[in-house]
Amino acid sequence: MKVTRRQFLKVTGATAAGFALVDLGFDLQATASAAKELRIKNVTPTPTVCPYCASGCGLVIYAERDANGKFVKLLSVHGDPDNPINQGGACSKGAAMFNLREIYDERTGEQMINPKRVQKPLYRAPGSDKWEEKDWDWMLARIAERVKETRDSSFIHKEKLEDGNEIIVNRTERIASIGGSGLDNEECYILSKMMRALGLVYLETQARI
Amino acid sequence: MTNHIVDLKNTDCALIMGSNAAENHPISMRWLLKARENRGAKIIHVDPRFTRTSARSDIYCPMRSGTDIAFLGGMIKYIIDNELYHKDYVVNYTNAAFLVKEEYGFEDGLFTGYDAEKRKYDVSSWDYQVDEAGLPLKDLSLQDPRCVFQLMKKHYERYDIETVCKITGTPKNKYLEVLKTFCATGAPDKTGTIMYAMGITQHTVGSQNVRSFAMVQLLLGNMGRPGGGVNALRGENNVQGATDMALLFHIIPGYIDSPISNAANKDLLSFIRAQTPGAAKLPFTNLEEFRALVKAGFPNSGFKINTSKWVISLLKAWWGKAATLDNDFGYHYLPKRDGNKNYSHIALFEAMHRGEIDGLFVNGTNPVVGGPNANKEQEALTKLKWMVSVDLWLNETADYWTYQGWERTVKNPDVPTYTPADIQTEVFFLPAAAVYEKEGTAAQTGRWVQFRWKGADPVGESKADLWIYNELGKRIKKLYAGSTKPQDEPIVNLDWNYDDEHGHDDIMKVALELCGYNVADGTPVEGFAKLSDDGSTACGCWVYCGAMTYKDGKIIYKTQNRDNKDNSKTGLGLYSNWAWAWPMNRRIVYNRCSVQPDGMTPWPGDEERQLIRWDPTIPADPKKPEALGSWVGDDVPDFLKPTSPDKPAFTGPFIMRPELKGCLFAPKSAMKDGPFPEHYEPWESPTENIMNKQNLNPATKIWEPDKQGTTDKYPIIGTTYRVVEHWQTGALTRNLPWLAELMPDMMVELSEQLAKEKGIKNGHKVVISTTRGDIEAVACVTKRFKPFIVNGKTVHEIGLLWHYGFKGYATGDPANRLTPHIGDANTMIPEYKAWLCDIRRA
Amino acid sequence: MANLTNLYDVSKCTACRGCQVACKDWNQLPAVIEPFKGNYQTHKDTNGDTFTIVKFMEYEDPVDGVQWNFLKYQCMHCFDPACMKVCPRQAYSKTEWGATFHDPDKCIGCQYCTYACPFEVPKYREREDKITKCTLCVDRVEAGLTPACARTCPTGALTFGPRDELLQVAEERVKFLRVNGFPNATIYGKLELGGLNKLYVLTDTPDKFDLPVNPKVSGNTVFWQDWIQPYFGWLIPLALAGSATSFITTRILANKHGAHGEGGHE
Repeated sequence: MKVTRRQFLKVTGATAAGFALVDLGFDLQATASAAKELRIKNVTPTPTVCPYCASGCGLVIYAERDANGKFVKLLSVHGDPDNPINQGGACSKGAAMFNLREIYDERTGEQMINPKRVQKPLYRAPGSDKWEEKDWDWMLARIAERVKETRDSSFIHKEKLEDGNEIIVNRTERIASIGGSGLDNEECYILSKMMRALGLVYLETQARI
Repeated sequence: MTNHIVDLKNTDCALIMGSNAAENHPISMRWLLKARENRGAKIIHVDPRFTRTSARSDIYCPMRSGTDIAFLGGMIKYIIDNELYHKDYVVNYTNAAFLVKEEYGFEDGLFTGYDAEKRKYDVSSWDYQVDEAGLPLKDLSLQDPRCVFQLMKKHYERYDIETVCKITGTPKNKYLEVLKTFCATGAPDKTGTIMYAMGITQHTVGSQNVRSFAMVQLLLGNMGRPGGGVNALRGENNVQGATDMALLFHIIPGYIDSPISNAANKDLLSFIRAQTPGAAKLPFTNLEEFRALVKAGFPNSGFKINTSKWVISLLKAWWGKAATLDNDFGYHYLPKRDGNKNYSHIALFEAMHRGEIDGLFVNGTNPVVGGPNANKEQEALTKLKWMVSVDLWLNETADYWTYQGWERTVKNPDVPTYTPADIQTEVFFLPAAAVYEKEGTAAQTGRWVQFRWKGADPVGESKADLWIYNELGKRIKKLYAGSTKPQDEPIVNLDWNYDDEHGHDDIMKVALELCGYNVADGTPVEGFAKLSDDGSTACGCWVYCGAMTYKDGKIIYKTQNRDNKDNSKTGLGLYSNWAWAWPMNRRIVYNRCSVQPDGMTPWPGDEERQLIRWDPTIPADPKKPEALGSWVGDDVPDFLKPTSPDKPAFTGPFIMRPELKGCLFAPKSAMKDGPFPEHYEPWESPTENIMNKQNLNPATKIWEPDKQGTTDKYPIIGTTYRVVEHWQTGALTRNLPWLAELMPDMMVELSEQLAKEKGIKNGHKVVISTTRGDIEAVACVTKRFKPFIVNGKTVHEIGLLWHYGFKGYATGDPANRLTPHIGDANTMIPEYKAWLCDIRRA
Repeated sequence: MANLTNLYDVSKCTACRGCQVACKDWNQLPAVIEPFKGNYQTHKDTNGDTFTIVKFMEYEDPVDGVQWNFLKYQCMHCFDPACMKVCPRQAYSKTEWGATFHDPDKCIGCQYCTYACPFEVPKYREREDKITKCTLCVDRVEAGLTPACARTCPTGALTFGPRDELLQVAEERVKFLRVNGFPNATIYGKLELGGLNKLYVLTDTPDKFDLPVNPKVSGNTVFWQDWIQPYFGWLIPLALAGSATSFITTRILANKHGAHGEGGHE
């Protein structure tokens, strides 16, 4: 059976209304003063869930897109009014989600990509005091080689039990993996599957700390 | 959470303890304030320090860090002495009536079976008395001196208010106010909720702290009912999901123990025997015989009788066609750990420090800031040959090898430092996409699994973690392709097909495998009751089974459901059509408890909060109209709909327990450090234990005996916590200018009294020291921290923010350079919350 | 058109400061990072890139124990705004529904409004040589949305709607609070300065929230509007070039210095 890449999101309810008559229930257009036009007018927001505490508040992303629908830049991030957990609310962290990707420069006020975000894979050679930019292919190939090398040289295939019988244990204790609680379920799942297939037993996440 | 966030609005009283809910789970206060406004609910905050949660509470009650069991033990005694427990509930839904073996006992702080040399208990005496059929003996009058209720009463006799307050440093009048207010929820028409977080768990007695909550809530009849529950407010957006997917050494997905290298795990059948409660002594020699036994049912098994289906479906999901009956469905492909070893976070870094680990993957985590004894953990990283760090930013762990990483504000000969040239680790940094630059699901603290759509493109060349691990998996498989070595089979045979027709990773393919599919046609399995152990179903994590369905030729991922009408007729806020909750979209677990033992009558005066009920007049399955009797209601019951009064599960709400009851007494191996919680002092404590003769939890492993600080040099209690403006190790907040603005520097909170003693003024730079190191911070001198009177002596406590490191817009020294490498006896979670230190002006 | 306003109920505020950040998100304001001064409060006062702040105040009472008060602080959108009176360029106007609107295109950055304001709220933004302040999210409200701060408030401490309705809510709430442990609970903004288009429910007297108990517009402001502006408006460029400039500069520097001073809790 065919699995479709994804179902198209049908946004309904308050989120979909986007700009008009949403919160107040009445229209003030008639009395409009010198105010500039609403920045998010006619923008359909995309729902997501906050990446901080585990309350699971919904957030909506307003983004500017070009005529072909290609993403240009963020406009604003709000609490999702449809999500029953937060009903549109967002604390300081949730409200700051715009900054996760873009910021306003403190000197010029200009909108820009958050300069702390890393935009290319980085490599640090043993003993070096600097990072070097590398491409993804090089990085992934090199990591795969190092994984194989460490696994193969440390692998325990069988062990003798106290009763003298042999048991297949298929593990390596020289590779470890930590973290993952910030990942999506699907990501955690393939991470867990891959690490265990490699024979890792030092496998831990933030739940322990 | 046994309940969920919105459900907080249904409570009559909230006990917030070991949590600063208003700051670290701000939205929870929305619902608590509604409960207060609409139901007149009371909010109680128990904490060493007055916080933003305390500011919105009806009662603020101070308590010294690390004394929760004393506090709650006193509450248990108060409930029993004043007969405030919910009697019908206790007799029917808990193990209060069960008789305990004569051999079980407790003396001088030790339970029976202790081996001082190994610091371990032989738990065989911590068990029920059983009849010939192996079923536990009971005394429903609760009078037998060997019944759990009487043993519990006796155990907590020592926890009188006077002694408790001497230990906790709580003013007696405040303690009494808390006891009176919260224990009033034992009335059948009242429910109370307990909300906790890391303030409870990050102790050498962390698990027993949580056990104490469970006991209080079982006694008061607050479990499985709206407005009740033991509610862990989890700290990371998908820490629940990461746990479900078993990114933990001791389990495989779905909370099944990971296999150990021993005879009991030597093959699939042995493993299933060991993992299925009640199966140990059953006569079966193959899967088919076992299947027949399961079908007939056997005692002391509970819902885990289905373990074989979960295990084999998992193996099928991982090794697909290569998983067959002939090779134990690939059971041996799973790594088997050494049963004598611990592989948890502290142990992992101890092993790394000894040079026993060469390669490390770091997935959006930051031990250089967040690991206990962070100086040591940072030094451990220098022993690595390679490290892969996946994150949005170069966090302190990715940059641990830099000059900046080894700068220390206070020179300390005991704390080694390095230069980049000393460090031979090859470091790979892979830039990850942010949460809204990709799509996928996350399980929040109330087990709601919600879909997150993609709202922006990843910056630069950053990629979703799914892409990264899918690509890495493909490359590793390629390296092993063609290998005929048996040890490479787990990789060669690994089912790893997540690409769509264009060669892009497809999240729905991963989701289908995770939620389960029928091997024959690839359609989703509609629920875990439909999983089988004959290889016909594949399911990566059985608790997620049921999240996908097939309708009109399309797969529906229920996590994408966005119908936000409350389906509850009485306005309980279940929102069952919003996203999907595991297990089986159940919004409040153990919901059987929301109705009386007869299954039909609501608790007196509490009709509105009844979640399910037994209706003997209607069929459970419309296709079988002759079979009358079904569980109905607004929530999904914990057991199958036709579970009738003649079945043990009918009055057994706690389906994951073999005895089906809530455990006031934790039998056998449930806990490593005792069937009842007992007060022990933290590893580093300002006082002797006055409750018993043991200072430290006797079952806790001591890693670094030479690093134990003592009161002569370190007289002050140190604790750590978070604030609303930052999150965890700060990577995801200190790099955000708006949040850096809100809380710009590392700070330490201390009382005016201590500040005066030390000549510290508000805003001064100060140095805090422990045996592990020193850090600098800005002093926040506050009326909100007060000294404690502990056993007649004044003891000071200070609190440090958890979040700081040397990277980002807001920087500062990591508090965890001070915290010890010691953990809970059961989980090994580090004791971040109570240790000894000193403070001085910088 | 009835007035639309914010009601801010301090008894429901947890000081999460979602409002402070949501304001920056909507109004596209950069962060202004200042060192931690021993108090959770980020800035002593609002500034050119920070239209709203949350104030933190600690008190101790022998009976009630420790109190930690939070107060969201921003432009009060006075019914009769002093800023509007003194502005030489008519950059200020009142919308029909009660917001005090400042038009940056007309602003010349003279800052008379800052000193005329009884709350000293309008602030100078150096990079543009303009005054800025809370807009009550005029653009949002006139498109049918609530202001960003009210929209984001997780606990419902901040709401937005018709002032007369919210005033009733506030009065009920104060009545409730007075018999439930807060005998000094009061409304702020109902009568102050003839009425503010921001309403507060306070659990204690205004001074405990760092609010002026009886805010006043200085006599000079009235004089300015009624006499100088109508007749001598043409003098402004001269005034700016002359002694007024030095006066203002001194005031700004003094003010800026104050913002960096040592923080305290009271």
